[in-house]
Amino acid sequence: MLKYTLRRILGMIPMLFLVSIVVFFLAKAMPGDSLSGEIDPTNTNPEYIAEMREKLGYNDPVYVQYYRWVTDFMSGDFGKSTRYKMPVAELIGEKLPNTIFLALTSLLITYVLAFAMGMYSGRKPYTVGDNLIAGFNYAGIAIPSFVAGVFAVYFFAFKLNWFPFAGSVDIEIDKGTIDYWMSRIHHVMLPAFVLGMFSTASYTQFLRNDLIENSRKDFVRTALAKGTPLGKIYNVHILRNSIIPLVTFLGFDIAALVGGAIITEKIFTYPGIGLLFLDSVNNRDYPTVMAITMMLSAMVLIGNLIADILYGIVDPRIRLG
Amino acid sequence: MKRKSMLWLFAMILVLSAFLAACGGGGSDDASESDSGDSNKDGEKATEESGEPQKGGTLTYGLDATPEGLYNWAFYGIATDAEIIGFFDEGLIEYDENLQPIPNLAEWETEDNQHFTFKFKEGVKWHNGEELTVNDWVFALETIADPDYDGPRYANVETIEGAPAFRAGEADSISGLKVVDDYTIEVTFDEPRLNNLTNIWSYPMSQKEFEGIEVADMSGSEQVRTKPVGLGPFKVENIVPGESIELVKNEDYWNGEVNLDKVIIRVIDNTATVGALQNGDIDMISLQPVSAPDVEKLDNVEVVTAPGLSYYYVGFKLGKFDNDKKEIVEELPKYQDLNLRKAMAHAINREEWIDAFFFGYGKPVNKPVPTAHWIAADDSEVNVYEYDPEKAKKLLDEAGFVDTNDDGFREDPNGEEFVVKFSHYSTGNPTFESRSQAIAQYWEEVGLKSEVEMVEVNLYYDMVEKDDPSIETFFGGWGTGTDPDPSALWKADQLWNYPRYNNPDADALLEKALNVEEVGDDQDKRAQVYAEWQKTVTEDVPMIFIAELDEIMGVGEKVGGFSMDVSGYNNPAEWYLNQ
Repeated sequence: MLKYTLRRILGMIPMLFLVSIVVFFLAKAMPGDSLSGEIDPTNTNPEYIAEMREKLGYNDPVYVQYYRWVTDFMSGDFGKSTRYKMPVAELIGEKLPNTIFLALTSLLITYVLAFAMGMYSGRKPYTVGDNLIAGFNYAGIAIPSFVAGVFAVYFFAFKLNWFPFAGSVDIEIDKGTIDYWMSRIHHVMLPAFVLGMFSTASYTQFLRNDLIENSRKDFVRTALAKGTPLGKIYNVHILRNSIIPLVTFLGFDIAALVGGAIITEKIFTYPGIGLLFLDSVNNRDYPTVMAITMMLSAMVLIGNLIADILYGIVDPRIRLG
Repeated sequence: MKRKSMLWLFAMILVLSAFLAACGGGGSDDASESDSGDSNKDGEKATEESGEPQKGGTLTYGLDATPEGLYNWAFYGIATDAEIIGFFDEGLIEYDENLQPIPNLAEWETEDNQHFTFKFKEGVKWHNGEELTVNDWVFALETIADPDYDGPRYANVETIEGAPAFRAGEADSISGLKVVDDYTIEVTFDEPRLNNLTNIWSYPMSQKEFEGIEVADMSGSEQVRTKPVGLGPFKVENIVPGESIELVKNEDYWNGEVNLDKVIIRVIDNTATVGALQNGDIDMISLQPVSAPDVEKLDNVEVVTAPGLSYYYVGFKLGKFDNDKKEIVEELPKYQDLNLRKAMAHAINREEWIDAFFFGYGKPVNKPVPTAHWIAADDSEVNVYEYDPEKAKKLLDEAGFVDTNDDGFREDPNGEEFVVKFSHYSTGNPTFESRSQAIAQYWEEVGLKSEVEMVEVNLYYDMVEKDDPSIETFFGGWGTGTDPDPSALWKADQLWNYPRYNNPDADALLEKALNVEEVGDDQDKRAQVYAEWQKTVTEDVPMIFIAELDEIMGVGEKVGGFSMDVSGYNNPAEWYLNQ
């Protein structure tokens, strides 16, 4: 197992290197640069823009710029954001906790709901409850998150006043107190639910279908014949088999955890990585774009690795090697 | 089994449709309310003067764009950050409703518009308890002139004598700054100019606060980003980056007592603007024209407008510019015919266009200066191109643009096909495409075949700036500052003169308006020279001037003491809440 893990990690290096080349050149191929948005006679003059382009090295050939970036990156210097004028590492560090908090809450909601609903539907397929859950699932899959987000704000924040409509915390509350954390949880619930809606729906359906399929297998009949209680058959024998496909998703979830949810974060003005990424692309903030992309690529690769390792643990039939 | 699930499907559809119907119903309720609710659109004062301003309370101010977090005048880059800094810091000079400089933290004297003596108010304190002295200003100017400075403000320091030498590292200090005592300083500019005062950087920086920080690290320092200090009516208490800012009353404010206890600034998404105002989650926010009609329908919010300082235009590419030689090197022939340009101006129905795309929050502009500015010429002094398609057709006929092959569109005087190419930037805002199509449509109505090209906004200005051959006529917008000098956008040797307008008479007028010997201190005389210049420009039509937009604020009914004019809104210290 260890050998396998090490081999996989070594294999990531050329992969990340290729990703960095593609992303860097694509980013540079975007029209304009970080200064083209600053043309404004009341604020500056053409000399400043020309000077900054020279200072930031935008006049050098692209491969020279790439080389400069990649050598800095290897030595741990992620560069300085051209828009926020602060080191990218600090900038990401500022937003990452918010994103992780949002993603974990959303994952928690997803798993709790998906397991509860999936187990119920799987055990009692084609009943009223199953159909209701299926109705909810199809709505969840069909409604895009930008629509769901705006509606959620309208109903739950403005009409019902249950949740705040924007932000991650009430600024008037002192940091570190119980109230502070309650406020954070209160703020994160609505975006987390909207964010988790799609995956809740698909997890539930996966789990349900798998449970139904497995419940028709021979070993279930054997267990029944043996006199094993139905509850035990479902919770132990069937569930363990049905979890395997869900484990695959966990790998992707880890990447999503740090990637943030661009649209949800935007609608709820939740200051996380997704919002930062969107802004940096729009403003051609190359160092930030590159750092976030590299982080995401690394997380996707690591997430896949974790999923593969988990397979081996959940299903002893799969052997890594 | 099968039938049962069909039944359920049907039930689900019913439930969903009831849900949707409920949404629709809510919408129409809002609409009918609006007809009865009266909203004040053009009042400059938002509030009824109901006696004494009340003390205390927390006001929530909304922002619909994310700040970058550079909370210092010397370093900020975008208007959103400036909006926030305005709550806790202020400058030496303010501007009145006529955009004339008035003393704020300092008074000044000058004899010749080259040598100025500034006298600072005594006893003004920074939020960290230090007293404001002229050294803080010198510090700010030297920071901006430092070669490591990474903000865009050097143009406001450059004109001080010795600043270029300081920047090049040839001097240890700026020779034009002479500190007399803690409250008096003499400033010498490199030459006498009428706009030296309005151009100079007038925001001090607390020297004590930035002690020990290299200029290169300043913009990333916590003194700029999370713990800024200022001189204004509120102090920064707490910042949650990208999301909210908590400001508390400055008890030691030098300019009267502050009414509010607290201001919370919240960043919100613009889809939430209307709902947040309606629920009172935010008390004030600057509005986009598109959401203003919805806000007007609210009973508890007033929409306050003031004339803005920006204008939109359609430019003609008349030449090519060489940025190394700083001159226009080539004339482009396609739009050189003056009658063609005039006809294209007459063809556009600007009132209709503004009503359709800016919901009436703007008006046609007839000159290269927003009407609210004091140098703006009266419409009677410039050439106005009213919507007159018949006149446009006549002008085109005279210029030789006639339809010779009966395809319904005019050919150029040589009988060749003539197609107007119109470029507009695109940002994902869906109205941009339709508003540019509308302009092309006006031209087609007078017989000029027109094509619209939408270009991604970052690429767009790059192409316009480099005189890309695919740019022929182009849409754009410019803002004017308090300093009225339009040279940077109009002189033939300027990169940002995008139409490549080249008229030596116009350039001479612009120079004359800044010339101390010819114009002296006489504002009227100066305005007169600018009026002459505006007449010259409108005669030449290098651009079709389209619209100037209003600044729009949504202000909750509880808020009092707020007013807004062309120079911006009044001091937030005067705002109060009716509880």
